Amino acid sequence: MFEIRQGVPGEVSMSGRLDATQCDAALKFLNEMAELKVIDLARLEYIASAGLRVILLAQKRCKAAGGGVRLINVTPAIHDIFHYAGFDQILDISRAAG
Amino acid sequence: MSERHTAVPGDAAQLPALLRFLQDFWREFKLTPAEALAFELALEEVFMNVVMHGSRADRAPGVKVSMTVVDGGVMLTVEDDGPAFDPLSLPAPDLTASLEARRVGGLGVFLVRQVMDSVRYERRDTTNRLQMTKKMGGLSPAPK
Repeated sequence: MFEIRQGVPGEVSMSGRLDATQCDAALKFLNEMAELKVIDLARLEYIASAGLRVILLAQKRCKAAGGGVRLINVTPAIHDIFHYAGFDQILDISRAAG
Repeated sequence: MSERHTAVPGDAAQLPALLRFLQDFWREFKLTPAEALAFELALEEVFMNVVMHGSRADRAPGVKVSMTVVDGGVMLTVEDDGPAFDPLSLPAPDLTASLEARRVGGLGVFLVRQVMDSVRYERRDTTNRLQMTKKMGGLSPAPK
């Protein structure tokens, strides 16, 4: 199961599994937001390269518009994947507390 | 016998069925839940590669997946009858590229190599065979 929802303006949270079957819906959701600033990943349990692509495209779009996306509350397992992919070089990533 | 296998058509809609197969295997052999993630990722990346590269105009490739408990770890084997394709021959992505230059594809196989201890490709007659193993010890994989 995967869920993406908007909280305060500019902020979304993702939970569950962002796999290849969910990435089109997630990308569409993010592309329809006027201004994306923060993605809260506290409850994201799984991500693969299809999901990384969604986040990379969102970041490219925001940077092109003069902004940028921050990923917050990233759990250790998900952080490992971002690190392997070199995303910690091109995105602002904060780990989950604890 | 510590091996289980399944067969599905190479269609992206089969991904949830493969995940259930993996999770059933994990429960049956009482493996550490946290260590399933690496195999879930490897299975998704390899399967989606077959879906993308293995389809001919008239039909999806057939895909066989087997999981085996081996000495000190787990082995995942994915076979397909699509055209010969060695995913390990793909160039590694440039992880130092700027955001603007960063490509959105090509990461999948690279991630598989990161989370598995060994990855081997072999073409056998009309079959592509990718075999991946990972030692299991309750430790998270170190970056390579």
